[in-house]
Amino acid sequence: MHRRGVGAGAIAKKKLAEMSKQLETFKSNLEEFASKHKQEIRKSSQFRVQFQEMCATIGVDPLASGKGFWSEMLGVGDFYYELGVQIIEVCLALKHRNGGLITLDELHHRVLKGRGKFAQDVSQDDLVRAIKKLKVMGNGFGMIPVGGSYLVQSVPAELNMDHTVVLQLAEKKGYVSVSEIRESLKWERERACHVLDHLLKEGLAWLDSQASGEPQYWLPALFSELTSRDVTPEEANQITP
Amino acid sequence: MSFEWPWQYNFPPFFTLQPNVDTRQKQLAAWCSLALSYCRHHKLYTLGIMEVQECPVFNHKNIDRKLSTEAILIVFEELRKKGNLEWLDKNKTQCLVMWRRPEEWGKLIYQWVSKNGMVNTVFTLYELANGDDTESEEFHGLEEWMLIRSLQALQTDGKAEVITMDDGKGVKFF
Repeated sequence: MHRRGVGAGAIAKKKLAEMSKQLETFKSNLEEFASKHKQEIRKSSQFRVQFQEMCATIGVDPLASGKGFWSEMLGVGDFYYELGVQIIEVCLALKHRNGGLITLDELHHRVLKGRGKFAQDVSQDDLVRAIKKLKVMGNGFGMIPVGGSYLVQSVPAELNMDHTVVLQLAEKKGYVSVSEIRESLKWERERACHVLDHLLKEGLAWLDSQASGEPQYWLPALFSELTSRDVTPEEANQITP
Repeated sequence: MSFEWPWQYNFPPFFTLQPNVDTRQKQLAAWCSLALSYCRHHKLYTLGIMEVQECPVFNHKNIDRKLSTEAILIVFEELRKKGNLEWLDKNKTQCLVMWRRPEEWGKLIYQWVSKNGMVNTVFTLYELANGDDTESEEFHGLEEWMLIRSLQALQTDGKAEVITMDDGKGVKFF
């Protein structure tokens, strides 16, 4: 005689029922978590960092896809999407000045300014993540590590390792010369000149031939006096589309 | 009110004519803008090439940079092409600077005239540019050559007529 309710099939069914119940609980807990923290996600950059780190440890990228569970639930995706748009606006507005190269500091300063006094807090970590997202979407964005921070590149100027290394050298004073490059990097004169010519050609550097000794190549992106100056209406009129 | 220098003024390469064509275009546009605003601020209407080289605009002593004479002439040529500058001599030693073009001045003057209900009145040029009544107006102190050109622009528009009187010129507005 066979007894009902016992056997591999029945146990599996029971387990499934249990799991299903657990999932229901899990889902409603998650929804509760989400609604509680939606505000915090938008308001606190520290919370966002911790949230991102938590996701990373469990192998989840909340920004991986705009339609993802987390990004929809918590609006994380929206936050970074909007930030990305703002970053693009700032970079476009200053492109005529700096050739499409801007320090992360200046970008941060201007993004905060654009958001006004009562807007949400945005950290440099937020900017870096938003830029990485922009990069993935193929917007011509790139980040060059210099002096402990980054230079954000917003135009697809072709910059290879040689160019990057010279930019890093220029970061200290905002300008660089052929002899400085030869001294620090031990390059041949021709290689140094080649890089500097490229930077001039891309509109990232300006030539100063009145410097004592030899010509200097200055980068508007690194010109500290410039970073806090707004674009004047006159300047705006000069911007060619 | 003190003059506000643009960011480029403190940027040493600004005083070197840029080799890159696109950068040079931006540079020249900025120079034209700076030259005109400086002249506007100090109400300069004529410039001599010799003094201009020593003028703070083109000779920035603080950063030990100056625009070469060649470059200054290039900037002036840009201004001339845009209608903001006119050479007074073939040797290009003196020029007129029109940081406001005659038509624009004409418009300002006419606005003042009609605002004060003085259409159909006759003014001497002196009254217009140097009279007490116009002291707070922007065109106060306008040099005669520019004043005449502005009135001639209005005349072309049928808004005024320049007349010769006993002791000089005058103008009637319609």
